[in-house]
Amino acid sequence: MSREKLQKLGIELPLFPTTSVGSFPKPDYLVTARSEFAKRKISRDQLRQSERRATEFWIRKQEELGVDVLVDGEMYRGDMVAYFAEHMPGFEEGGLVRSYGNRYYHKPIIISEVQWPGPITVEWWEYAQGLTRKPVKGMLTGAYTVMDWSFNEAYADRRAACLALAGEIRKEVEALIQAGAKIIQIDEPAVSVRPEELPLAIEAMRVTTDGLPAYFITHICYGAFEYIYPGMLEFPVDNFDLEMSNSGLDMLALFRQHPYSKDISFGAVDVHNHAIEAEPVVEERLRKALEVLPKESLWVDPDCGLKTRSVEEAAQKMKVLVDAARALRN
Amino acid sequence: MELKLANHSSYPRIGDSAEGQLLRRTIAQREKGEKTDAEARVAEDRMTELALQEQIQAHLDSVTDGQIRWHDSVSHLAGKLKGARINGLLRFFDTNTYFRQPVVTGRLERPAPMLVEDFLFAQQKSSRPVKPVLTGPYTLARLSVAEENQNVAFEEMLDGYAGALAEEVAALAAAGARTLQVEEPYLLKQPGDFAAFERALGALVARKGSSRLALAFYFGDVSPLYDKLQTLPVDELVLDFTYSPKLVETIAAGGSAKALGLGLVDGRNTRLEDPSTVARQIERVSRAAQLPAATLMPSCGLEYLPRDRAQLKLKHLSTLRDTLNGKAA
Repeated sequence: MSREKLQKLGIELPLFPTTSVGSFPKPDYLVTARSEFAKRKISRDQLRQSERRATEFWIRKQEELGVDVLVDGEMYRGDMVAYFAEHMPGFEEGGLVRSYGNRYYHKPIIISEVQWPGPITVEWWEYAQGLTRKPVKGMLTGAYTVMDWSFNEAYADRRAACLALAGEIRKEVEALIQAGAKIIQIDEPAVSVRPEELPLAIEAMRVTTDGLPAYFITHICYGAFEYIYPGMLEFPVDNFDLEMSNSGLDMLALFRQHPYSKDISFGAVDVHNHAIEAEPVVEERLRKALEVLPKESLWVDPDCGLKTRSVEEAAQKMKVLVDAARALRN
Repeated sequence: MELKLANHSSYPRIGDSAEGQLLRRTIAQREKGEKTDAEARVAEDRMTELALQEQIQAHLDSVTDGQIRWHDSVSHLAGKLKGARINGLLRFFDTNTYFRQPVVTGRLERPAPMLVEDFLFAQQKSSRPVKPVLTGPYTLARLSVAEENQNVAFEEMLDGYAGALAEEVAALAAAGARTLQVEEPYLLKQPGDFAAFERALGALVARKGSSRLALAFYFGDVSPLYDKLQTLPVDELVLDFTYSPKLVETIAAGGSAKALGLGLVDGRNTRLEDPSTVARQIERVSRAAQLPAATLMPSCGLEYLPRDRAQLKLKHLSTLRDTLNGKAA
């Protein structure tokens, strides 16, 4: 179990550690600040002050709720791929494309060789970690997902773009470790949709993490897991952070067919539903997980980032997770 | 061989200009109660006209309404049927876009035409033939789920969708559609279902009248199924070449008794194709296969691209044809 690895890294966690996937909703003052910054009504420094205030809010909130492994909440990001594209030479911002319904986003375009420009997230991680004694996860987006969610005009094919990105993102991982991060999450939500490219995604993760001294988590969600399991267990990470509740815990059936062999951050609340699950409901989901998973491997978190919920809903969903984990420990 | 140019299906419903934001802004205002459904319909009309204009300016021989009014390829049709309700979001194939999943609660029925009014509006605004596009019954059934405890079998859903869509095909044909495009991308994920797929398709073919029926596949490798697709009672096969590295040679070897829609222009990436490469591919296919007719088009709907890039892709179709004909500068 990777718990030994955590101990070697100097991190002691209780049974059923609680955490979150990464994003939290932005408080109203930050939403307003981002809008005013876009209209050039406030300066970048003023926006940054709001981002720091919101980051501190979420660190304090997680501590208050009793979460074990914290995140900075990604108050400084708009989108998990565009954020890195905005900072890395080699990308340009593309026009708007539709995500669903009336929601659109700027999809980046790789126009030349991508380059790591120096630390991108490290200052935010240092700021967040400086506010708490609990471990704060370093939060990155993986090479495969950045490649898949960008247009590629620079590299010969998807593989070349993916592996080039993997090498550059590794430099950010090294910088986070240099700064003191012990737990680093590298999100790869795109890997579950092209099963034939799973080996490429695994190879890219290896390029990004191989030999580096950290406990690695990767988040995958909303895909056809039946096509990539158990092959996904080859990912060189210690912990899969998986959406489980939205899909009715379907993956547990796969785990019964082929034993799951890593730690798991088990999505125990649905992030696409306004309703707050009752604590016994969440506890029951976790008990079902324990029917097929060793208790030492089970972490507890939401299905996905909570940024689409209101601040109050996100806090309530985190609280019910913490309560359920505590009930289970007892 | 005459090479025609066409749009595939969808087109961006947003752009970076003020006018390009019209529909998004209006829908957002409608959600806040500041605009009515009628005002949203006017915005949809305007964006449909813009999509048509841009396709006509790109010298396409056949255009679509851009599916501007569609929430997504699945719920837009299923949501208009009795016996289905629309549920949460799921990823649409390997894209980073999402569709609302239908939940089939009982017998599927079409209470009213679904696309005819939109087709007539688009045809009235277009100097080129408008091709209506429908997601096929097999794909709709595979992307739906049965209501819990309702015991609706997959075959029942498939037959229900096929019946409803067959009525729509008949109505579109009666309204004057020369070519109808039915899209069945899910078959590429589940080729073992060919018999069920073929049966459902037959219901649509039976109602197409004198209209041509084009059958489209994308987001997967079509090569392994190519020979079987040639046996289907359709007039045209529309094929995505971007997932099928061997498709050019497969067609060259097997020929084609049907007209082909050549999806050689990548609808998922902004990079413009090298004209000489595409010209070689078309020549290889057309000479070896002795194609009766072919249409050059994007590999899939263009809504996956930003508007400015979608426009460039459409204009590129003409450049590619000119290169093939030796007219390139």
